[in-house]
Amino acid sequence: MTLRGALFDRAKIKPDEVSASVQQDLIEALRLGLISILILLLAAFLFSGVIGPLFALGSVEETVTDVLTRLALLALPFVAYIAAASVARRYTWSDTSKALGLALTSTIVLFLLISVGAYAFDYGVFAPRPSLQMTLSQTEAGIRVEAIVPGGAAETAEMQVGDVITAIRRDAVDLAAFNLRLSQSEEDAPLRLRFLRGDEEMQETVRVAIVSDKQIRALLPGLVIALVFTVVIVFLPGQWAPYIALIGLLTPLLIGYFWVIIATFSYRTEGLVPLDSKDNFGGFTLENWESIFVGNIAGLEFNIWPILMTSLSIAVIMTFAVLLVSSMAGYALSRMNFPGRRFFLSFTLILHGFPAITLLIPIFIVLLRLRGIPLIGQHIGFNTAGGIAMVMVAFQLPLGVWLMKGFFDNIPWDMERSALIDGASRWRTYWEILLPQIRPGLLALGIFAFIGGWNAYIIPATYSIGTGLSNLPVFLNELIDETAPVDWNQVAAVGLFQLIPIFIFFIFAQEYLLNIYAGGTKGSS
Amino acid sequence: MKVTIDNLTKKFGDVVGVEDLTLHIDDGEFVAFLGPSGCGKTTTLLTLAGIYKPTEGQIRFGERVVNQVQPKDRNIGMVFQSYALYPHMTVFQNIAYPLKLKKVAKNIQHERVEQVANVMGIGNLLDRRPGQLSGGQQQRVALGRALVKEPDVLLFDEPLSNLDARLRLTMRGEIKHLQKDLGITSIYVTHDQVEAMTMADRIAVMNGGHLQAFDAPDELYSRPKTQFVAGFVGNPPMNFVSVEVSRSNGRFVAETDLLRLEVGGDRGEGAAGYNGAVVMGIRPEDIQISGAGDIAGEIFIVEPLGREDLIDVRVGPHSFLLLASTETQYQAGEGVKLKFDMEKVQFFDPQTEKSILWQQ
Repeated sequence: MTLRGALFDRAKIKPDEVSASVQQDLIEALRLGLISILILLLAAFLFSGVIGPLFALGSVEETVTDVLTRLALLALPFVAYIAAASVARRYTWSDTSKALGLALTSTIVLFLLISVGAYAFDYGVFAPRPSLQMTLSQTEAGIRVEAIVPGGAAETAEMQVGDVITAIRRDAVDLAAFNLRLSQSEEDAPLRLRFLRGDEEMQETVRVAIVSDKQIRALLPGLVIALVFTVVIVFLPGQWAPYIALIGLLTPLLIGYFWVIIATFSYRTEGLVPLDSKDNFGGFTLENWESIFVGNIAGLEFNIWPILMTSLSIAVIMTFAVLLVSSMAGYALSRMNFPGRRFFLSFTLILHGFPAITLLIPIFIVLLRLRGIPLIGQHIGFNTAGGIAMVMVAFQLPLGVWLMKGFFDNIPWDMERSALIDGASRWRTYWEILLPQIRPGLLALGIFAFIGGWNAYIIPATYSIGTGLSNLPVFLNELIDETAPVDWNQVAAVGLFQLIPIFIFFIFAQEYLLNIYAGGTKGSS
Repeated sequence: MKVTIDNLTKKFGDVVGVEDLTLHIDDGEFVAFLGPSGCGKTTTLLTLAGIYKPTEGQIRFGERVVNQVQPKDRNIGMVFQSYALYPHMTVFQNIAYPLKLKKVAKNIQHERVEQVANVMGIGNLLDRRPGQLSGGQQQRVALGRALVKEPDVLLFDEPLSNLDARLRLTMRGEIKHLQKDLGITSIYVTHDQVEAMTMADRIAVMNGGHLQAFDAPDELYSRPKTQFVAGFVGNPPMNFVSVEVSRSNGRFVAETDLLRLEVGGDRGEGAAGYNGAVVMGIRPEDIQISGAGDIAGEIFIVEPLGREDLIDVRVGPHSFLLLASTETQYQAGEGVKLKFDMEKVQFFDPQTEKSILWQQ
């Protein structure tokens, strides 16, 4: 075929020639669904059957493979429905009924297939579950035993039909709470039931049995969920998908933040719900915040302002020191050729990857010795702000130097040469021409350094004694250590208090960070 | 300001940038450094600017030896290929920067910048930033910045390469005019031989870190001293073919297996003295398609250039580029007869690649 012919043939394909018959579409949908099922089964097998045993061979205790296996099996039906529905989505807006019919049919087929698999392998709704092997019903007096499986756990414990269960140990239960408690129990766990037999109050300990319970009607809710899910997938606009994934991933984080914020303004929380002393919704208070400024939390007396100032000065000093040293070192590494440059570069990278925590003890010894030096020792040794700052700056430098070198590398040589020829000294070129051009980099590194300094815990905590030098994170830890019982709402308030300056800082810096610099160079250099 | 380069050598480790370069540039002269990429022309320029320090040799501005003088103390202006404008400064600040560094009074700075900006035709752009300007405008700002401090020497590093073809033509004329007007000694690095030919008073052709020739443009064109110069200067490039020149019956004949050409007496004489083959060069405009021609060839490609057609004619294994009037519509594959203007041919030594006709 000629080149011309090849190009022409493609152009001749008309849209309706692409669309296939319903049977073909259904087969394609099922095939896609099956393939995704197989892939996830394979993944589950890989985690539980290959990687897990390998870890076990090395006597490594881990739950990661188990979690991944469960995750793969949990996602399995949904991935299959999505895969199948992706075929139907082609017709969503052109032939809605065809799309729906196709998607629902394939979903039902896949659902049945998955259910058969679950039935065969005792998985999912067919998995054996904890049971006391008796039938219960909710009555006004309590949970009434309606029937008892012969030879089962209840019979062994000598429960009788007509007993009315009121409590497990001392916790009063209704049927829902009872079932929840039961479903969370492990095999052979003792449940001490309080019940009424006639008018007599009695106690028996029933041991939980795990029984296979294959009830087909348990599939019904699953089918409804599958069908609703499929319909949503068919009509979901494609561009929403990234947002849905994003929201899904962010939700746990956001819930955490919500809790912190809610907790600081309430006496007590149950989940995200603030409660007052009578377990009713409410109980809002500013006391958590007030006590920070008053300086007394559960008997621990303190003054927040010096602590805040320590935090702030560590962060600010660190920011400036890191920026100054990194940018100058980065400039030298980017622009100058000197013996050992390559070694220095690779060594810096290694240092960046080095777990700094392991250096705590050697550095402690170094700082202790430094303390012994007359004059300087009082400023840079152990238990001095200078010593802490020095160590923290040093830990931040490898990243900073690399980052700065990268930014300087991106400035064309011509820019610098031009400045030199225009009459600037090298120092002035660096200060007036180069630094302004890497401002986004300086800001990014500055923010890293500031946040690093602001949140610094391990180094200030290790190299200082007493509260004289403690910053907010160290104080937070003290608060948890020295109050009992710990008032977590109070701790949350201190945590949020610590966040405020970062928050303000970020709001202002973000604009600069997003500001992409308009370049004045063109072409290569 | 006279610029004197004596035996300049610049090495980067073991890599030779320029070797043993000697050039004497007169006051007010416009000199172009011409050569392919990596020939050492930019290295030379940056050494003149003081960015690189010479490994050996001497550079003098006037009578002053500047080998160890810092760039800022050389009083030079430079225009870069990338323009190298400072993106965080406005056009005004960019042009004023050299004056600011010279600690010129603020009001004089204003005056000078406005003056230069008006000459460059960018007087209305002073508040803009480089990122908001077009390539041509950026180029003018860069030129203005180089000129504002009234430099003794102006250096250009391929300043027009990033402009579109039309703008390049305009800027070419403007720079040349400006240079003549101001009379500032200028050194212009380019790989574009048209730029070099049209703008420069003299061209220094460089290759592989060595100076090949330093001469006026028409001299380079009509009397190339090396085969490299002959091939590099002129567009379309000179045709080369290996021939043997012999004397028979008091006439000189250049021969290959397929060609047999009679050479004029003065040109043939030098070439005939050689044993064996020499390289014969002939420019495209010196070959005509003519019925009276004695060389039969076949047209391989016709490239219309508008004013004329560039035609590639194959004669056996040899390929000759020539220019033909557009009036005759030649077609690829057509057989033609060629006529060489043997009064204009060049001969080069195949070993040394030096001209046999024009000894240095």
